[in-house]
Amino acid sequence: MSDLLNSLTTELRRGTLILAVLSMLKTPQYGYSLVQLLEKSGIEIDQSTLYPLLRRLEKQELLSSSWDTTESRPRKYYLISDLGIEVFELLQAEWEKMTSELRIVLKGAETDGND
Amino acid sequence: MEMIEIYVREVTRRLPEKMRNDIALELRSTIEDMLPDDYTEDNVTQALEKLGNPATLAAQYRELPMHLIGPKFYDIYISILKLTLTIVSIVVLSLFIIEKFASLSNVDTLSMLNVTGFIVEAIRIVIEAAIQNAFWVTIVFIILDRTISPNVHVPLTLSGTPWKPDDLKKIPNIPLKKAIKISEAGAGFFWTIIWAVVYFKATHLIGVYESREDQSGLEFVMTVFQHDVLLSYWPLVSLLILLELLLLTYKAKLRQWTFKLAMSNTIVHLISVIAFVIIISNPNLINPEFVTYFSNILEDSQENLPSAISWIYGIIVLSVIVTSVLDCYSGFRKAKMK
Repeated sequence: MSDLLNSLTTELRRGTLILAVLSMLKTPQYGYSLVQLLEKSGIEIDQSTLYPLLRRLEKQELLSSSWDTTESRPRKYYLISDLGIEVFELLQAEWEKMTSELRIVLKGAETDGND
Repeated sequence: MEMIEIYVREVTRRLPEKMRNDIALELRSTIEDMLPDDYTEDNVTQALEKLGNPATLAAQYRELPMHLIGPKFYDIYISILKLTLTIVSIVVLSLFIIEKFASLSNVDTLSMLNVTGFIVEAIRIVIEAAIQNAFWVTIVFIILDRTISPNVHVPLTLSGTPWKPDDLKKIPNIPLKKAIKISEAGAGFFWTIIWAVVYFKATHLIGVYESREDQSGLEFVMTVFQHDVLLSYWPLVSLLILLELLLLTYKAKLRQWTFKLAMSNTIVHLISVIAFVIIISNPNLINPEFVTYFSNILEDSQENLPSAISWIYGIIVLSVIVTSVLDCYSGFRKAKMK
């Protein structure tokens, strides 16, 4: 039961992760600072998924990256690109639409169940 | 710390060369970010635990699938595999049997040792061909999955394009219960070939085998049938083989039972049964030597022998008729199905 719930939850979250990541990269972040930012907002994230995801988004030109070597250890900073902003806004609108639709559906199911 | 180095190497060694340095650098600095300033081995273990299995992480970086054949190709892979396995097995087996039996000369007799060896070799050849076939088909699909897959977003059909409702128009509308499988027709061809070979080579195949005195297998002692008498029916048998092959071709072409097919099936069965009864009723068909041998086995007086033989004769004829009638009936039943 809990295993099944875990895998279902992971599946539910999977698509939202990109949205969360894009929303946080309006300012440049490196891998671990992004994890901390997300965690502060209460978003739990599997780190082994996040780092490859950042590279994938970079390859899809939604993010741009640059190395900062001035600090004690080199860090790769990611920043949302123009294309990324555009896609993010569309995705966000899609998300809003989806959640409001789903809210109605779930509410309907609830009141039906009470009848 | 050594563990971090090993972990990073475990990830990067699975990556293409040009990605390695960048990812190694980022990964190392990320892991260090995760650790407190004065970290212990426990801290490192916890951090690495969060990153998980290096193989999984590397696979995510590579974006290569961690499977050989993914869902986009799986269905088409299985279809092609089944199709080629059926064709290859039937072709290989038929060629093998034709080659073996054609090489039997009149002098040869088939000893039991040969029969066992023959069956073992046939099985070996089919398994070998099947493995070869499965191997190459699988290799092709593994390559396909890794080359075409990124550009394909939905499962493909046999035509190489995504499924569309129009594809249904190409599939004949045949209820599963009425359908004639290609493998069914293939098996039919195969059996017809076997029986044809057995008939024409009966002198070398059907007979009494006794163990040799030196225990080196079985010896062919005598034939059951008189060769000349049996073979004198060759025009009739050839006609039957021809009819059977025509019927199978018709079946393979229609792919479903129809009234016409059920009628043709019945006619072929009728002719076969009549021919069978004609051939088996010939009093000279059985080798007299065999009759004597048989009566010795029964340990019966010669007087009871005719009745024993007519019993066996009756049972054989009856079972042939019953199976034929059942097959004809099932043909009509399937043809009537909606």
